[in-house]
Amino acid sequence: MTTHDLVLDVLVGVAVAAELLCCLGLVVMRSVYDRLHYAMAASAVPPFLVAAAVLVEEDWTQPGINALVVAVALFVVSPVVAHATARVARTRRG
Amino acid sequence: MNVWLWGASALLLGVLPCGWLAVRASRVDALVGLQTAGTVVTLALVLLAEGFHRSSYMGVALVLPFLSFVGTLLIARFLGRHLL
Repeated sequence: MTTHDLVLDVLVGVAVAAELLCCLGLVVMRSVYDRLHYAMAASAVPPFLVAAAVLVEEDWTQPGINALVVAVALFVVSPVVAHATARVARTRRG
Repeated sequence: MNVWLWGASALLLGVLPCGWLAVRASRVDALVGLQTAGTVVTLALVLLAEGFHRSSYMGVALVLPFLSFVGTLLIARFLGRHLL
């Protein structure tokens, strides 16, 4: 196993583990606001780890840049949706 | 099987808690589950595109966050107006 493979394994492994932890957090937490924290964490850190892994494998080619765009899109778009969801939850509580 | 495909397979397990939330919890909680499922599936598609060495598959992963964004916002608005 080369250093390149090791870096890929670590990046993908940590990204998947972090994403699964966030999904587990959704079930464990009790309030919608706590669950939103985990939903935000799921779209903040793991996408950039995956993008980093793709960039290590492909360098700055089309797939690498696409993976980075996906990560940035998730990072930018998710807080807006979280805000809308929290607003609905707050309306529900009155 | 390479590391990308193993990662995608493991990542898809993350849809199960989101599905559980959609079935068992309240509607707002289900919305959070839907949002997270969108993120999980997007990342799984990136890993699958890389695992199969098909850069064209990445287009689906590129479009999904935006479609998921619009869909979730629409549902949030609908929930706020009609279902609460």
